[in-house]
Amino acid sequence: MTLLDFLQLDLPAGLTAVLASSLCAMLGNFLVLRRQALVGDAISHAVLPGIVVGFVLAGSRDTVTVMLGATAAAALAAVLIEAVRRLGRVEAAASMGVVFTVMFAGGVVLIEQAAAHAVDLDADCVLYGQLEDVLWLAPTGLASLLDPAALAELPRELVTLAAMNLAVGLLIALFWKELRITSFDPALASAIGIPAGLFHYGLVLLLALAAVASFEAVGSILVVAMLACPAAAARMLTDRYGRQFALSLAIGTGSGLLGYTLAGPLLLLLGMDWSLNAAGMIAVVAGAVLVLAVLFGPHHGVLAKRRARRMAGAV
Amino acid sequence: MTHSRTPAFSRRAMLAGGAALSATALLPLQSAAAQGGFTALATTGMVGDILRHLVGDRGRVEVLLGSGVDPHTYKLTRADIGRLMGADIVVYNGLLLEGKMTDALVRVASSGRPVLAVTEDLGDDYLLSPKEFEGQYDPHVWMDVGGWIRATAKALERLTAFRPADADAFAANAAAYTATLRDLDAYARRVLGSVEPQRRVLVTAHDAFGYFGRAYGFEVLGIQGISTESETGLRRIQELVDTLVTRNIPAVFVETTVSDRNVRALVEGSAARGHRVAIGGALFSDAMGAPGSYEGTYVGMIDHNVTTIARALGGAVPARGMAGRLAAL
Repeated sequence: MTLLDFLQLDLPAGLTAVLASSLCAMLGNFLVLRRQALVGDAISHAVLPGIVVGFVLAGSRDTVTVMLGATAAAALAAVLIEAVRRLGRVEAAASMGVVFTVMFAGGVVLIEQAAAHAVDLDADCVLYGQLEDVLWLAPTGLASLLDPAALAELPRELVTLAAMNLAVGLLIALFWKELRITSFDPALASAIGIPAGLFHYGLVLLLALAAVASFEAVGSILVVAMLACPAAAARMLTDRYGRQFALSLAIGTGSGLLGYTLAGPLLLLLGMDWSLNAAGMIAVVAGAVLVLAVLFGPHHGVLAKRRARRMAGAV
Repeated sequence: MTHSRTPAFSRRAMLAGGAALSATALLPLQSAAAQGGFTALATTGMVGDILRHLVGDRGRVEVLLGSGVDPHTYKLTRADIGRLMGADIVVYNGLLLEGKMTDALVRVASSGRPVLAVTEDLGDDYLLSPKEFEGQYDPHVWMDVGGWIRATAKALERLTAFRPADADAFAANAAAYTATLRDLDAYARRVLGSVEPQRRVLVTAHDAFGYFGRAYGFEVLGIQGISTESETGLRRIQELVDTLVTRNIPAVFVETTVSDRNVRALVEGSAARGHRVAIGGALFSDAMGAPGSYEGTYVGMIDHNVTTIARALGGAVPARGMAGRLAAL
């Protein structure tokens, strides 16, 4: 592995993995706090028909059209989930389960149809992504990192994810307090005039955009894992809102970096001539972090609780 | 407003990059140039076989996909991308055979490295475009030895342009290889021609034998479509069972890179209707046999297929194939 290999292969792919992880980890906090981690699963699957329709209309993986399609599908999913819940008088989780599986299945049928018309998209690519394809061939050396011409050729997936990270980070900073109140106590939020419903739909919309920005590179399975694992692990480690956010971001980016390194570059550095699927490895690392947090969390962890119980017994 | 955040982002990116950089900078440089000659990388074994014969001792030939790997569905790993980027010239089959690798191949080509498809010169006059595969060509050109001779010519042309200094060696190698391929083609015509005309029907797991069928006068029926990605409909199985029963076809074939589940369904379906169909053997469709074996070469692969098909359908076949080198069947 050479420096050029690193700049052309590992930097763009690793950075894309890290950016997708941080994006999902940020949004995941609000899902975990609302006890709605399943919404992430629901939305990232429900956008599939929108992605396919956008893809067919644009004739390519043009980001804007695909994002519009996905947004429309997410909005439809949010409305349908609400409708099924009210009309069917079922639990929210059951309603989500029904809507997202049906929409995902619809997307798979659409893909099979579109594939017959030679469209370069398949369910496999949506589920698993293709992180290894995120190449940046422009750099010729370290100087290229500052060369505007080379930077202009950064892979589209990477640029989209960076922009999404900025936008989501900014929105969260702007609505920090509102998000906190609507997450912890929606009834109180409504009572003091904060539209909790609006924030819910806003979150759904951002989830849809994040899912689309990530799916091409890392696949929707990693999106689901990163929406839930870092935030849930952070939740085990702290009770403070701000600290949880920071921790989840650290766990997300850390898992992205570590997972990518373990899957490919590390094996090559050790002299192996094969490597593992990077997106899969990142999800495995995030899951392992969650398990560690569940076991060793300072207050909510299994061991801490057992110790507390023992001490209570001794007194 | 976004400007206030930009420095934070790029600092994080630089930090992450810098940490990893310091680790990789310590590594020894590895490149093909250091070992003399050049490195040519082929995607499939069949393309690699052309390259091995043409390049000879003038360079090193690597093959990305091993024996038994299905090129339609294979996804590149980080190590594969490294090999792609490390090669001096990349040669692939083309016509979307390497389905999930296409993006990476396009990106490598855009870096200015020579990347060529051996099928790129074959035009509408040669290529098949089955109707269920709307607007796209069937990529399984190597199944017709005549088509592969044309692919060899294309590879020779591009290799010569890439290394004019070795043009004579390439040309001599190509002439010898083409002569072997012509013998193979003649053998295939002779052996397959010994199958009774009404029995010249080849039923396989997926539609990989279109060019084979056209070149050697066989009707070809695949259970799955051109790509192994496509789903099999129950109706397709029913149709094929009907054909097997009504035309009294004695054998169907499995493929080494495709699950034999669908083919076994045909055998059972026919048995339920009182027609005994044998599995005539395993054909090499999208990948060659084990490396180092005779079947692990292009000639051995085609010899195996042709001999297996002709024998199962009742043709007159030499015991161990064209050159007496086939593993006992």
